[in-house]
Amino acid sequence: MSENHDIAIIGGGIMGCAAALRLASGGMAPIVLDRGDLGQGASGVNAGTLSLQIKRVRLMPYALKGHEEWARMGDAVGFRRTGGYTLAFTEREAELLTERQTLKAEAGAPIEFVTNNQVLSAEPNLTRRVLAASYCHEDGYANSSLTGQYYRGRLREASVPYRERCAVTSITRDTQGFVLHTGGPPIKARRILLAAGAWLKPVAAMLGVDLPVNARINTVSVTERMPPLFATVIGHATGLLTMKQKGNGTILIGGGWQGRGTPQEGRGEVIADSLIPNLSLAQFALPKLGQARVLRSWTGFEANVPDFYPLAGELPGVPDAFVLGCVRGGYTIGPYIGRLMGDFILGHSPEMPLFNPGRDFEKDAT
Amino acid sequence: MIRLVPDHSARIQRSEKVPFTFDGVALMGCADENLAAALMQAGVLHLRNAPGDGAPRGAFCMMGLCQECVVFVDGQSVESCRLTVSPGLAVKSRR
Repeated sequence: MSENHDIAIIGGGIMGCAAALRLASGGMAPIVLDRGDLGQGASGVNAGTLSLQIKRVRLMPYALKGHEEWARMGDAVGFRRTGGYTLAFTEREAELLTERQTLKAEAGAPIEFVTNNQVLSAEPNLTRRVLAASYCHEDGYANSSLTGQYYRGRLREASVPYRERCAVTSITRDTQGFVLHTGGPPIKARRILLAAGAWLKPVAAMLGVDLPVNARINTVSVTERMPPLFATVIGHATGLLTMKQKGNGTILIGGGWQGRGTPQEGRGEVIADSLIPNLSLAQFALPKLGQARVLRSWTGFEANVPDFYPLAGELPGVPDAFVLGCVRGGYTIGPYIGRLMGDFILGHSPEMPLFNPGRDFEKDAT
Repeated sequence: MIRLVPDHSARIQRSEKVPFTFDGVALMGCADENLAAALMQAGVLHLRNAPGDGAPRGAFCMMGLCQECVVFVDGQSVESCRLTVSPGLAVKSRR
């Protein structure tokens, strides 16, 4: 049986699936392909933080829309709007906090500065050594491990076909569009959207395009279940800590500390030299964390390009090919920018501008 | 079969009782005996509270898996079923 689709989407993470859903609702027939299972890359292994306090200023309008999307997804993705504090412990960190959070507030995030006493009355188990803090009532988290099953369900409801464990090994062209070669019968599509996250570089290379995609190897840890210790999402002025306690009592600790490995080699590895300062900072913020045992630490690959802004638009030099990825704060923004990308491919003008993947990454690095 | 708890039954010194404490209460047990078993012998069944609803918890699987018998020793959380009694051992509960 030959298969013909309006568009093939390579990568079934948040962005690929969100784009597929928008395309389907706009009348196109997409197919989603993933080399593993849906939502098991960065979409499924990140710490699930939804915090406007850690978003880039220029991406704030997208992050605000992203929060609306997560709120709509609600319980199915474990969404909780808990509010969040960002803490500073030293003068230098306090300056950094003031500088960064002021810019983010100006960009539209409802961030306010709060006193040490306000923090401690809301979160009495935090350290007394908070020098300055900001608060955002919009902040919270979702459960990233639910990403795959959530989007699988949504794709089914929308009758969008998807293939899991279906790695594309090469891409050729015919008169109709693209032919995607996999282990099984080739898949034909008039258009193609690359949404392969940290694997974008090798995927784009199949079309002869060199995308300057790098991957960060972010570490996340989870503790055993603890009695309720804090209710909000806790961050640090440097951005090197995110921490939340889930409904089941486990505490999830992130902050972008780097592990080791490359997407090509499979899952990355946790390294002790990086994990220990991550946990130390968490324990400094929440002394009672010292009583908790870490159950597991893992890493996920976060893709980026040199200017750390998204790739969202036409793949340079390849007609009918599109690329979406490398979004800083991609978990938060993914569902929204996926929808924008769908609009763009449908020929509608997206309600917010996309990010030209053909730009000069060195020049635009602001 | 992988033994999570080493078999050292022959090392337990039944003839000699040694003192240890549980939340400051003095107890006696056989040296090198399994700590969870010694606590049971001493009548201590309630070792911790469930983190969610606070319900009492005690030794259950006795092989290092279920985590219900976890106690603090030297400031660390450890499964009491994987520790042995030694003279002066100070055990703190997670109650």
